[in-house]
Amino acid sequence: MLSEWGHVGFLLVLAIIFPLGGVVTSWLFSRLRLRPDRPNPVKEDTYECGIPTEGPAWVQFNFRYYIFALLFVIFDVEAVFLFPWATSLERVAVAGFIEVLTFVLVLLIGLIYAWRKRALEWL
Amino acid sequence: MENVNLIGPQLLLMAVGGLLLICDAFAGLLGARRWMAWYVVGTPGLALLGGLGSLLWAVAHAATDTRGSAFFDTYVLDDFSLFFAVLFAGVVIAVVLFSVDYLRGNRHQAEYYALVLASAAGLMFLAGARDLIAIFVALELTSICQFILAGFLKDDRSSEAGIKYLLLGAVAAALTLYGMALLFGLSGSTSLEGIARAAAEADDQRLGFVLASVLLAAGLGFKMAIVPFQMWVPDVYQGAPTPVTGYLSVGSKAAGFAVAARVFVEGLGQGAIAPDWATMFAVLSVLSMTLGNVVALVQNDIKRLLGYSSIAQAGYFLIGLAAVAAGEPQVELGLGGLLFFAASYAFTNLGAFACVIAISQRIRSDSIADYTGMARRSPLLALALTLCLVSLTGIPPTAGFVAKLYIFNAAVQADLVWLAIAGVINSVISAYYYLRIVLNMYVGEPVSPEPVRPTPLLAVATAAAVAGLLVLGVFPFPVIDAAEAAARAFS
Repeated sequence: MLSEWGHVGFLLVLAIIFPLGGVVTSWLFSRLRLRPDRPNPVKEDTYECGIPTEGPAWVQFNFRYYIFALLFVIFDVEAVFLFPWATSLERVAVAGFIEVLTFVLVLLIGLIYAWRKRALEWL
Repeated sequence: MENVNLIGPQLLLMAVGGLLLICDAFAGLLGARRWMAWYVVGTPGLALLGGLGSLLWAVAHAATDTRGSAFFDTYVLDDFSLFFAVLFAGVVIAVVLFSVDYLRGNRHQAEYYALVLASAAGLMFLAGARDLIAIFVALELTSICQFILAGFLKDDRSSEAGIKYLLLGAVAAALTLYGMALLFGLSGSTSLEGIARAAAEADDQRLGFVLASVLLAAGLGFKMAIVPFQMWVPDVYQGAPTPVTGYLSVGSKAAGFAVAARVFVEGLGQGAIAPDWATMFAVLSVLSMTLGNVVALVQNDIKRLLGYSSIAQAGYFLIGLAAVAAGEPQVELGLGGLLFFAASYAFTNLGAFACVIAISQRIRSDSIADYTGMARRSPLLALALTLCLVSLTGIPPTAGFVAKLYIFNAAVQADLVWLAIAGVINSVISAYYYLRIVLNMYVGEPVSPEPVRPTPLLAVATAAAVAGLLVLGVFPFPVIDAAEAAARAFS
């Protein structure tokens, strides 16, 4: 039992050594003047993707996004439930089909409601 | 189809809720006059029909002896869940009656009623869920609806109530989930039956089970509003729309006790840990009673006062839960006491809230000082509120007296005499602030001579609640029988 967990413990040790080792070696090398230390603004950027960062992270964004996010999550989860159902359709047969139909119908009510209440329009 | 019939009362509530939303979405096409008709009569009428239909369905289950478990034993319709289904359907009807006039002018009342119906369905599921996952889903179904309802008015107070309830509710849900995860880890099963089997024989894992019980009690204690998880009560009760406050204080609390009884008695009732959680609940009971009653003494706002009073009442509920663990015959007495107390408390507190809504709607104030001389402005409402407060104190001939007698007796039989004594002392303390309002209403000059008349629907709700608490006080035997039958469902 314990020896099986030994593998996990080994990985844990590795997971600690790798990042820590890199940082410590880099710091050590710079202290020993084994590597040059020439910082510049581009090098110190938060993201090294090539596109210059712009403005602070605290910006206002349209809160209407949250309704879209909400609808997205709902139908995303619907898809998550539909896939396992589809793969086992032969086994769950008619009863399963009706159950999933009910499930989709309930979500459909929500979608119709959102549509009629103009949650889908971008004003 | 068999399964569908068993959860019929809940399904009906949810279907009517969905219907309300759809109808409301398309009501704009009707033209202004018909829209008004839908808005004034159709929405609350449909919600009321949903509640009545659900009540009838539950009563039909009771009458035809329909029992059984559904959905792979995750939900069970036994006497226990049926008792609560009837109770919750009654609560929904009362809340709809309270809300009609309160919400007049609010554009979103279809959503309001849909949320009330959906959360009531959640309460019913909660009373019958026998599987940790089903319990959690039902808990979230009712909680999320109630968060929105608490913040429904969108003014400062109501929004604060909604946010506060949401944040603390999320913490409570996390604690519940942690407790459930521990139970699953210890027993390898999410069903209460499997947990009961594991708990009965696992003497070496006692610490784990105790830890799980503490976490579950913390999470469910939030719903039950017991000390030390009562911080949200006064603010939410004060800020939420008053009908919702009534709903939270009765429906949500009763469901909390229902699910706690099921998890602790059915899941953890056997084995070495039963005395441990019984002691925990006994201590929490004394704390809840004392804190609720002492702080209520200095309240000036009637909604806050009823909030603290509901914390104190939760302490009396807990006596029943603490008395259960003493042994086999105690399950019936302690649990029966808890169930009867729930029924009596439902009538009493809903009646009190009906009076408060009727009065504060007219005088536009929740301050107790403004209730001075209410007996002259509205003799009948003052009488109704007096009877409700007398029942909350526990004085005959009201339901509260019988309920307290029953539950204190259960404590004495379970060798918890000290708990019964604490309960009696607390009842004496509570008499001071309950009867202070009564005194205020009958003695003293009214603030203004203008009479206060309840709207017809509120009058009906008040009359029904008062009639109920008097009937339960004088002739409680049918309900006691039903409560004891429900308590036997676990053994």
